[in-house]
Amino acid sequence: MKANAQPSALLPALISVVTLLLLVAPFIGLLFATSWRGFAFADGDGSAIAVSLCYSLLALLLIIALGTPLAWWLARHRVRGGWLIDALLLLALLTPPLALGLLLASVYGPYAPAGNLLERAGLVLTNSGPAFVMAQFYSALPYYVIAARAAFEGVPRELEQIALTLGHSPWRSFMHVSLPLARLGLAAAVALAWVRALGEFGAVLIVAYYPQGIPVKLWVNLQNTGLSAVYPLLWIFFLVAMPLPLVLGLAARRRRLI
Amino acid sequence: MRIDYRIDHPIALHAAFDVEGFTVLLGASGEGKSLLLRAIAGLTPARGEPFGGMAAQHRAVGYLPQGYALFPHLNAWQNVAFALHGAQRRAQAMQLLERVHMAESAERYPSALSGGQQQRVALARALARRPQLLLLDEPTSALDPVTREDVIAELIGEVHEFGIPALAVSHDPHVAAVADRLVLMHRRGIIQIGSPSEVYANPINGAAARLLGHRNVHRGYIDGSRQLLWQGRAIVLPVAEGSVDKDVDWTIDPEAIRLVDTHETLPNVIQASVEVRHVIGRTTQLGLRCGQERLWVSVPRDRPIPESVAVHLPAEAIRWWVREA
Repeated sequence: MKANAQPSALLPALISVVTLLLLVAPFIGLLFATSWRGFAFADGDGSAIAVSLCYSLLALLLIIALGTPLAWWLARHRVRGGWLIDALLLLALLTPPLALGLLLASVYGPYAPAGNLLERAGLVLTNSGPAFVMAQFYSALPYYVIAARAAFEGVPRELEQIALTLGHSPWRSFMHVSLPLARLGLAAAVALAWVRALGEFGAVLIVAYYPQGIPVKLWVNLQNTGLSAVYPLLWIFFLVAMPLPLVLGLAARRRRLI
Repeated sequence: MRIDYRIDHPIALHAAFDVEGFTVLLGASGEGKSLLLRAIAGLTPARGEPFGGMAAQHRAVGYLPQGYALFPHLNAWQNVAFALHGAQRRAQAMQLLERVHMAESAERYPSALSGGQQQRVALARALARRPQLLLLDEPTSALDPVTREDVIAELIGEVHEFGIPALAVSHDPHVAAVADRLVLMHRRGIIQIGSPSEVYANPINGAAARLLGHRNVHRGYIDGSRQLLWQGRAIVLPVAEGSVDKDVDWTIDPEAIRLVDTHETLPNVIQASVEVRHVIGRTTQLGLRCGQERLWVSVPRDRPIPESVAVHLPAEAIRWWVREA
């Protein structure tokens, strides 16, 4: 039995090792390529880190605030023409980031009707903090909504209804039953949205070249100085981007949230 | 408490009856019994009284769905305290758990409780809401067959102790037999209401007899010469005038059927072959194949069974009902 069982366990293990090696290869390359003796930051790297962190956090909060009700509604209601909503979410996912930036500029840009109107109201959506947040919001929202919808779909509807029969309002039922039961999937959705928002390059490049966040600054450093200015900022990017998804992922895997 | 509910969607259904003590609504699967409970709890659109037009969270009902739907992320006392407010909620939840004899499991999560224990926690949780009416959906479906009778006995004891009218819907004749009041549902309507002893003694038709767990309910035909025709065989019946030439449902108590040798010459004898044999306590239940149908016969365990078996159906033991078109 043991002799029979081993080869079948060995093959997936071997493939796993190979896959992990492939995954780690670029980072080993980074380890060797970084000039540790001349490790120095370019001008403006510090502000790029601040811009990325602050605005990504803001975009994430907006995504959670607007995306969670939508995800719950999509999970709980079957409407006629629901496939159109699915298609819309897919469309948002499929749009290449650069094209998304161009589309955003064509709607919210200074010469576009919506952009013009908002600009008069004092909200400039080109090369501004709000523009930066908007680009991140658009690129990460569909990922969050799709992941959060799946999380809510995993919550038995019956439990939400039982909460109603126990005298709780729909809002309290959502807070005390739906949210805690969907927490693992929601944690994954938040982590995914964070990674997507923070790493967004194409859309941000088009609508918000300034203020410069880390992804755009990496590109600017490459253009102005070369690779030696890219790697230090990249290390810092990993350092600041990693904690949130890592903690959420670990907590989810431990089957409880901090 | 008077229940009068009308549902249009997803199936059309109307039910009006009184709930007194532990009332069981007995009906086959697919009759819409669960839907009726959901309607009373305000979880599906319907018109009726009590609670008509109120939102689910304002209806004073304690609803126990099939499988009990305990919150998996909360332990037993937290489940019970879900409907409670204020600083005393834990103490109140513990009191309720004590009343259903579950206080020692207060810290355990639903996944670590048996079906019967989950039911008692769900009952305590439903009672915490101070309901005017308890609704129980198939209370025996998630129970182990060995402990089922005990769990039901305890459930009924608790319902009586709390003094809240309870409506249980079920397709299980075992639950029906212990009810204070029995309501039979067939083809989405109420066909008979009464105490279990009344209803069991006088099922209103063949469908009612089937619901009550009568094992030998068959279709037949009573012809002009007062004979019950069943699968091409004739059984002579003492039928009153005016009831002839009709399709009927008929039934016979398994204990009333006599096993005879095929060589005996008696009236109302039908050839049969033994298909299955259950020994239950002092009796043997025999499933006998008669043509296309099966007859259940109950005989004392020590009675020898003839090799070539036939059954004699005493005419006086046969009950029958004219089938409605």
